[in-house]
Amino acid sequence: MSLPGLELTQPSEERQQVTAPPSQITLNPNCEWRFEVAFGHIIKVKLLHGTAELFGTELAESQTYTFSGTKAAIFTWHGCTLEVSAAETASTTSDGVTPTMGHGAGGCQSEYTAEETPMMEYANVHFALETMREEAQSIGKDGPRVLLLGPENAGKTSVAKILTAYATKVGRQPLVVNLDPTEGMLGVPGTLTATAFRTILDVEDGWGSSPMSGPSPVPVKLPLVYSYPLQNPLDGEGAVYRPIVSRLALSVTGRMAEDEDARETGIIVDTPGILGSDKPGSMELINHIVTEFAIDTILVLGSERLYSTVAKQYDNKPSSSATAAAFDEHISVVKLTKSGGCADRDAAFRKATRESQIRTYFFGNNIPSSTSASTALSLSASSSSAVTLSPHAQQLDFASLPVYSYTVTSIDDEDEDDYDPSQLAMGDSFLPGGGAEDLQETKQDPDRAAPLPGVVGSFSEPSGGTNASTAAQNSGSNVPLKKVLPPAPSALANTLLAITHAPTTASPAEVRDASIMGFLYVADVDADKGKIRVLAPVGGRMPPRAIIWAKRWPGELVGLVG
Amino acid sequence: MSGLISDEIAEDYKSSLEDLVTNDASQIRNLTVIAKENTEYAQAISRVLENHIRSIPPPHKLPALYVVDSIVKNIGSPYTLFLGRNMFPTFMDAYSSVDAMTRKKLDEMLNTWKQPAPGSLDTRPVFPPEITRNIESALIKARTAALQQQQARSQTDLLGRRGNTTPTGWNNGPSQNMSRHPQYSNNSHTSTPPMSNRDIDLNYLNRDLDGLIASARNDFANSPFNPACQQRLKALLDLQGILQRQQLTQEQLKLVRDQISMLAATKPPSPPNATSNGPVAPPQIPAPPVQPVSQPFQNLLNPGTLAELIKATASRQHPTPPPQIPAALPQMPTPQPSSTPQPAAPENPLIAALRARGFLPGGSTPLVSSSSTPVPGPALPFMMPNGMRSTPPALPTQAPPSNGSSGVPMNTASMKIPRPGLIVSLYDSRSNRCGTCGRRFFATEEGKEVKARHLDWHFKTNQRMTEASRRAQTRSWYVDERDWIKSREAGDDNGALDSQATEGAEGIDGNSKQEPPKPWIRAPNDATLRNTPCPICQEKFESTWSEDVQDWIWQDATKVGTRVYHASCYAEVTKDGPAPARSAMPQARTGTPDSVLGKRKAEGNESPGQKTRVKMEQA
Repeated sequence: MSLPGLELTQPSEERQQVTAPPSQITLNPNCEWRFEVAFGHIIKVKLLHGTAELFGTELAESQTYTFSGTKAAIFTWHGCTLEVSAAETASTTSDGVTPTMGHGAGGCQSEYTAEETPMMEYANVHFALETMREEAQSIGKDGPRVLLLGPENAGKTSVAKILTAYATKVGRQPLVVNLDPTEGMLGVPGTLTATAFRTILDVEDGWGSSPMSGPSPVPVKLPLVYSYPLQNPLDGEGAVYRPIVSRLALSVTGRMAEDEDARETGIIVDTPGILGSDKPGSMELINHIVTEFAIDTILVLGSERLYSTVAKQYDNKPSSSATAAAFDEHISVVKLTKSGGCADRDAAFRKATRESQIRTYFFGNNIPSSTSASTALSLSASSSSAVTLSPHAQQLDFASLPVYSYTVTSIDDEDEDDYDPSQLAMGDSFLPGGGAEDLQETKQDPDRAAPLPGVVGSFSEPSGGTNASTAAQNSGSNVPLKKVLPPAPSALANTLLAITHAPTTASPAEVRDASIMGFLYVADVDADKGKIRVLAPVGGRMPPRAIIWAKRWPGELVGLVG
Repeated sequence: MSGLISDEIAEDYKSSLEDLVTNDASQIRNLTVIAKENTEYAQAISRVLENHIRSIPPPHKLPALYVVDSIVKNIGSPYTLFLGRNMFPTFMDAYSSVDAMTRKKLDEMLNTWKQPAPGSLDTRPVFPPEITRNIESALIKARTAALQQQQARSQTDLLGRRGNTTPTGWNNGPSQNMSRHPQYSNNSHTSTPPMSNRDIDLNYLNRDLDGLIASARNDFANSPFNPACQQRLKALLDLQGILQRQQLTQEQLKLVRDQISMLAATKPPSPPNATSNGPVAPPQIPAPPVQPVSQPFQNLLNPGTLAELIKATASRQHPTPPPQIPAALPQMPTPQPSSTPQPAAPENPLIAALRARGFLPGGSTPLVSSSSTPVPGPALPFMMPNGMRSTPPALPTQAPPSNGSSGVPMNTASMKIPRPGLIVSLYDSRSNRCGTCGRRFFATEEGKEVKARHLDWHFKTNQRMTEASRRAQTRSWYVDERDWIKSREAGDDNGALDSQATEGAEGIDGNSKQEPPKPWIRAPNDATLRNTPCPICQEKFESTWSEDVQDWIWQDATKVGTRVYHASCYAEVTKDGPAPARSAMPQARTGTPDSVLGKRKAEGNESPGQKTRVKMEQA
């Protein structure tokens, strides 16, 4: 049906209708179809017959899966045929960039079939872990605690997904810990999280989604989130990273102690690539993680040197688990082949991924690239797991908000790959007018976290009237976290605020160690009136909680609210 | 075919082979050259090789297998074809009888078979992948079993088989299972199990027949004056001819197969190749009586894990363990083959039967059902070794409760070993697949139930999705540490979502003049209170906006004293007394978590939401 004038109002859509016909891809057993889809472009993949899995999660036959802004691979153990086609793409992204359509099947930027994959190795890891789990089950000890190490783009997170997917597939419930602040898991970047996975992972959406007010086609996962608003764990020589890791480990251990399923299945810890790139201080951080999580299996991906260093230090050493002596637990260090499919994700792609994660947090995963309502509706049918969320905008009085900010110096957010810790300058003050109160960053920060109030006490118990009064008992003066005082800095605009579970009166150490309720996006700062306009995921009154300003990381995201 | 020349060549080759007792490169090269010059007799030579490998003492097996290796790599087809046919039994046979060092070498050799022959232009692997894969998965299973055995080593060694000379760490330990089926004989390549529940597969048939012929030849060679052996061999060869020349219908094949099975069962239980066990002193076992069943012909040469494996394979077909075996065991503490010549095999029942049914030309001879053909049933235990060969590494049809991956050590080398057999635990063992999300379930009754609940979950979720799309949804706050630690993952197979699900109901409040039909309270303003979960289920309350009340409310909530409960939780606890409330979730694990959770959740959460929805839509 053609109506006069329709072409004029929607010229771009008409243009996009001219899409290539679906292409069929037949994979032999043990082969893998690797594809890259640009942000803004959407492809649909359907499994026609055979079996296929994406990072360990099996695809259902004849279901249409949509992908956008991703680099992934579909592997088959038994051979399969896939149908790939381009979706009627949104004409432009919200920031006006025309999506780049590649020349591969379905408009992929790049796609090819690989015959050599390390999947057998990864599957073997799963089987070895299952062996350990069965043993753990039979003698009543904890399941394996796995640490993934490797440089950037070595496939650590993919392996973590595969191991998680396989474990859930056989009815296990692993606790997956993401210690990589550059990429969020079930949330936004700049967080460290732990999540128990019992249900199937989301094929289209990586790890899946955290709970929403409504239903989700793929069961939601419940993450425990901590804020680490810096890109690099080594920032401040790990003075912030360490205690948060300790705190996270404490929670995970607490969960293990109570949740039998989790205890038997064990932990899978994913780490940032920076820890695998032989930077000064990274070994100390690795050691910290190994100790805190009582790691007993270290998987090293894609770096011979890292493997040899780690193996030298840990292989066959007793694990730090409390039961290590009783059960004669030793750490095994295993080298894994990096997949040839590991695609380098450049800074631009990573940035787009981060932005899409933040967008998804507030707006849902319905619209991979666009927030405009009309496209949202037109696409809602295309994605089987599309959920649109409606965040609430509101004005807040900045003076009433207990906003904290980390004062450790960090490298420039933009250049991720050339980080050189030797260039670390000491405590620069970045707060307008806040220089006098700058806290010195310190290297003697206690590694161990404060006791877990959720377990041993209550978080809501008043901890003193002011920061100063509690500072002493919590060594708060050593925490490089300081309150951002009014007037509202204009740099707040377009950044995220992490609402902690800590009360407004908590000490800096408590704020640092507190888990996160959620995030606010600062759309606007009205310095004159002392108001900020924020986007909150949930409507209603702002919870009176301490807030951490994610100034450095994930940094500015322009255009979330149009 | 030039049977005579072929026999001659074979005989020559056999004698040359017999000289090969060490890993002598030049000898092996020679043997390869001979084989190459006689490719037209490849079949005969291959048989000779197979029989030879089977019959020689374990220390000589490796060099002989190296000859095979050299031949297939240097000559390739047709040897790969002929040798590949029986490679599984040959290899497993050898593998089971040699020591750890040799096994390692065999592993290495096997590995090279998966690659193209070095220097060859052909990119295909030396042997077709099916062959190597079968062997490999069998080996993996054996190792797995070994590991379990090791773990179970503390179990009493009731068989007293300490005398076992095999130095490998992993096949010494007896397992409790071993005592039931220890009768694996590594050279009892003579019998074939009836493959009763299987569609008749010509390949299987041919292979079985090959095996039988090979063994009959062997017997014949060992006791040329035994007319029974002679007759038997001839009959088998005839049958092979028939199979190869004629197109038989499925029915006819079935008959043939049954006959083969029976013939296999009647087969003299022990091949008379006394040499096969080399160093072991000849036994003093009296000549076996005619009835093979009662005869403990097993030599327990390698009662290791392979036996275990075979048992596993075989016992699926014949679940009942033969009671007489354990009894027979004590009589034979030393693994021994019987060197006694076989009692005359009965009239060739096979040929007879076939004749009787008009398959074979020629006279009328004894009846098939005559007493001379023992029923396969009781003889089954003795065929287990061959169960392995004829049903090569059969994948378990029904998954074990465990995830079937035990025994994989966590180290770098181990990660490189392909274990295609274990992939089964991820796929085939859970054959019941959800069409919506690809999740897999066991094909058992229990699995079906779980799947039913799972599908129910999909259905309800879809329903809610449709409704939810009409109103705004929001991201929930993350839980705090305590809640997270206390929370338990709700599966998608327990028929319910989390408490938020109920909230999916009142999005259309605005159109409705009714009050929310369920108990509700105004959401408290105090954040601490607001984040306090329901004391029963430990799940938080969800605030929803009610147009009627013009405030944020908590659906399905009730205030009792100072505490706020989910109304449904509270009702359930107070009404049903010791109901398996949500607080019971932590205990509801292991074997049947799904059922427990499923029941509870379904009742507790679904109905209020559903009812609400219905009412409102009517209004």
